[in-house]
Amino acid sequence: MKSNSRHIKIASLLLVVYYLVVAWVLFRSGFEHTERLFYAEKLKLLFEFKENTLLTLGTTYPTTVFLSAIVFAPFGYLFAPVAASIVMMTLLFFFMASDLEKTDLPPKTMQTCLLLLFLFNWEFVFAAISGRNIAAIMLFFYLLFRSLFYYYRNQTTYYLSLASIYLTCLVFTEINFIWMLLSFFPFIVLVSIEGIKVSKTDLPVFQYYQALNNRSLRRKLANRTLSLYLVLFLLPLGAVYLFRTLNNAHAGDPTYFLTSQYANWRVTGSTSLTTVLEMVKGANIAKQTQIVFQVFVAMLSPIFILSLLIFRGKLYELFTIITPLIFFSIILIDTRIYLTVEYYVIVTVMGIAALGFYSTKKRFKKLTAPALYIATALTIYGSYYYFSETNDVEEQQFFVSASQTSNWFHPRSQTEIQKLAEYIAAIKSPKRPVLIDDASAYGIVAYLPDLTGLVMPLQKSFVTVIENPTLTVQYMVIAKRNNRLHNYTVMNAYNLGIMRERLQIQPSRVFETENWVVYNIR
Amino acid sequence: MPVSALNNMLSAGQFTVSKLEQIEVIAEEFNYASIKAALNFGFLTRKEYVHFLERSGYPLVDVRNEVIDQGFVDKCDLQHLNSFLYLPIRNDGKGKLIVAAADPMDEKLIGALENKFATRITMVAASDLDITWMVHKLRGEYYVKEAVFSLMRKDPASSGLTTFTDPQLIFIFGLIALFFMLLTYNLVNTFIFFNLFFSGTFLFAILFKLYLALKGSRYELHETITKEEVKAVNNDSLPVYTILLPVYKEDKLIRKLIWNLRSLDYPRGKLDVKLLIEEDDDKTLNAVRNLDFPANFETIVVPFHMPKTKPKACNYGLFFCKGKYLTIYDAEDVPDSDQLKKVVALFRKLPKDYIVLQGALNYFNKNENLLTRMFTLEYSYWFDYMLPGLQSLDVPIPLGGTSNHFKLDKLIELGGWDPFNVTEDADLGVRVFEKKYKVGVVNSTTLEEANNEPFNWIRQRSRWIKGYMQTTLVHMRNPVRLIGKIGWRGFFGFNFFVGGTPITFLLYPVLLSFFVIYLIFDLQAVRVIFPDWVLYISIFNFVAGNTLMVYVNMLAVFKRRYYELILFAILNPIYWLMHSIAAYKGLWQLIYKPFYWEKTNHGLTKVSHSSAAANAT
Repeated sequence: MKSNSRHIKIASLLLVVYYLVVAWVLFRSGFEHTERLFYAEKLKLLFEFKENTLLTLGTTYPTTVFLSAIVFAPFGYLFAPVAASIVMMTLLFFFMASDLEKTDLPPKTMQTCLLLLFLFNWEFVFAAISGRNIAAIMLFFYLLFRSLFYYYRNQTTYYLSLASIYLTCLVFTEINFIWMLLSFFPFIVLVSIEGIKVSKTDLPVFQYYQALNNRSLRRKLANRTLSLYLVLFLLPLGAVYLFRTLNNAHAGDPTYFLTSQYANWRVTGSTSLTTVLEMVKGANIAKQTQIVFQVFVAMLSPIFILSLLIFRGKLYELFTIITPLIFFSIILIDTRIYLTVEYYVIVTVMGIAALGFYSTKKRFKKLTAPALYIATALTIYGSYYYFSETNDVEEQQFFVSASQTSNWFHPRSQTEIQKLAEYIAAIKSPKRPVLIDDASAYGIVAYLPDLTGLVMPLQKSFVTVIENPTLTVQYMVIAKRNNRLHNYTVMNAYNLGIMRERLQIQPSRVFETENWVVYNIR
Repeated sequence: MPVSALNNMLSAGQFTVSKLEQIEVIAEEFNYASIKAALNFGFLTRKEYVHFLERSGYPLVDVRNEVIDQGFVDKCDLQHLNSFLYLPIRNDGKGKLIVAAADPMDEKLIGALENKFATRITMVAASDLDITWMVHKLRGEYYVKEAVFSLMRKDPASSGLTTFTDPQLIFIFGLIALFFMLLTYNLVNTFIFFNLFFSGTFLFAILFKLYLALKGSRYELHETITKEEVKAVNNDSLPVYTILLPVYKEDKLIRKLIWNLRSLDYPRGKLDVKLLIEEDDDKTLNAVRNLDFPANFETIVVPFHMPKTKPKACNYGLFFCKGKYLTIYDAEDVPDSDQLKKVVALFRKLPKDYIVLQGALNYFNKNENLLTRMFTLEYSYWFDYMLPGLQSLDVPIPLGGTSNHFKLDKLIELGGWDPFNVTEDADLGVRVFEKKYKVGVVNSTTLEEANNEPFNWIRQRSRWIKGYMQTTLVHMRNPVRLIGKIGWRGFFGFNFFVGGTPITFLLYPVLLSFFVIYLIFDLQAVRVIFPDWVLYISIFNFVAGNTLMVYVNMLAVFKRRYYELILFAILNPIYWLMHSIAAYKGLWQLIYKPFYWEKTNHGLTKVSHSSAAANAT
């Protein structure tokens, strides 16, 4: 057992190296995610900007991802979010592999399958190297359900509390997971019924009948259900309330962390279903608008289907396993945004958790090991299929970078914002400042070597400067009309026109890319 | 067969041989007069006995109103007087010494006394309770002084007689002076510093509690002693077990007490139960006197001496204990019936350095009103989660007021309880740890009566919080020495758990007022003193602290399945305000009346344990 634990540790370390290499290769070939740039820019503001540090630190969301990236900031702001993701994925691997030691299935087979998934599953690799919040979602999602499963086994409040803490972390990684509270309802009621059932030798249906048709038991059932709910949900809901209070106190808006493009990447990063339908190519969108979406997601993760086939446990445990599918129904009704990979990948995570805790090899006996390998291979293919069909622009970009192997070892290609950042770095100085709005230009700021010579919304003087920029700044960075983030910034083509008329200025273009223009206004 | 009242009762057909045999065995084991064993081990009611004496020509003499010749009393040892229930009164002027005795027919005693005083004896009958009252009053001075000053003499550093030492006063007033100096030097920054420091301390103290609760919840289902292990205990191998019952004006609870003691699963002859009554507490004494059924405890009267505290009474009682193990219950306590056996089994199982075991406390009247519900939640997380958490961290455990079980010889070695400390139990827990002994937690519960009346609750709580302050002051007289004794971990554990508790309650209303002023009234004046970032951190600490405390309260319902109480946990901030009132009262008393024992009235509940149990099923 001890040597196996050492093997897991070694495999985890090797996984770190593997992800670092993959990240290096893919970034060289031109892939980068805007969410990573968003965190990198906020880290830069936090460490290099004197004003409003607390606003940056206290309202940037998702908090868990941002805070974990802070730890790696000394290694470079751009690298920090990626490093945090890689570490989280490795931790996830470590926890999963350790839990699989105790599974009823052949542990070696399971651990090999797990390693294969972490190495070759496109969704897992994307989570590790994109610098997005996906790794954190996967980690906290797994820890949450692992704690619940341990609670079912041990019935101690300790695991229930841990589940609540991980649920809080999950909500502070992706706010939409707060809707998972609703999807918990069925299994919590069943857990409560399980706890108060009498005559346990009877058929389950009769036990439920008795529990529900006795006034005293019904009262107990209601109290227990409420208690479980409160203990699970008080921390996440309390934490959200606290965060809202702090946002209100400090930014004047309780929902600042959710609605401000300065605090939350999602505001500019997520795309509504309507927009995707109108603008973007891809096939996944069709599935998200249909009631068979859950089936589609499950089909992409055969390891989850296998876990249901060889499931051995109680009804409430089964309901717990299918929580993500219930969650999808709620999230699709509520948000109407295009669901990206983080929602797909949790099904695979749940599949692995279910195999670890609630599976039996007795059902297929000799077929278990081949079935696991086949399911793993199909899950890897499912992830490939997902990326090949995705409607998300940045996921498409990842697919291109990862699938066109010929580009991997070409000379490093420069992206649009890198070019822009290089130009701005060359012209800015305290005497010739550049007016830039990081609501949309966060990527450019992230690539700048330092923040001297910039005027940004975080500064108290920004409002005065934008009223009459000619008095203070030399250059302005303007988002063009075709820029996807044109409407999220005041520094856009529309406002430039108004400025021209109002202030009678004659800005001259000094640098232009597909989405951006740098003007000299003096 | 020597002549005695019991033998005469037997001859008169008012007693049975088997009972008498049992009494003789107990009298032999405890070195008591047979009549004492009969009256205190549940064989005979006092009323029956008095009736028999009167019919036998021995009317009772009221010894409390007799003229006593102190010279004769001084020749007697209190232990002997107490064990054999007699009191020399005076010479009758005809050459005979009048002696009042509980059993005036005891020829063995008469012979012994005639030898002792070298004179003829005239025996008169007196109530055993009056004799006890008189002998302790007349001969108890040495013992009561020992009970009060023994710890101070043996271990002055651990005695709470001095509340504030000179260095502590210099430190406290130095801090106050520094605060005002800093205020005049830089008002805003000083306010900022103290605000952050206090709100940070508040949050940290609560985080520590949450951490303890989580640690403790891991052991939720762990049974230190299983039912099988209890069953395996052989009754013959059980040692004598002392139960101390310190009471003051608890006349209404005496009947209940007897029933609770009867339900203990422990051989009757091996239970050395001492009811400790204060000298001026005639109410309780008369309640014992008027019982219609046999009492199963011995009454000890504690002579008057200040401070009039429970630990002083317990220390006094220690001189008369016969057991190998000792525990304390309050009059209204309902311990699990197998608690004593569990303790014996656990002591046998644990290493020798475990000298105290704390049982869990909870309430039988939990659903009586809002206060009892809140109290139940608090006790549930305290005893079910915090104490196991502290034990797992190996830091000092502040013992609860009752149901702490000691090895008697070790308790005496420690010097007993500090009579000047109003939470002597918490203090003793730290002293146990200082002497490198250990406190364990036993999986057995004692149900108590939760305080159901707010003013009574505040009185009780103010004493507890004052006691925590006293304990902190005593043990923090020399922090370096304390670290040397209990280590860094113990030091921080002690300061955050014992020292941090009163500080948290004292700070709570201050932080709450900032929160209310800032968020609800949004007064700009606050912003002048505290910039946004300070308020940000303060609000975070305050709201997070409160939420976590509500959460810890909620966890409390799970182990005992008190699910119906969970919503009341939300009211914890209000409950804490009551704590704050009690804390300020405690602080006031710490300065002006440090040893004053705020009496908690018991017996206010309308709920009985049996009815609560019936409702629960």
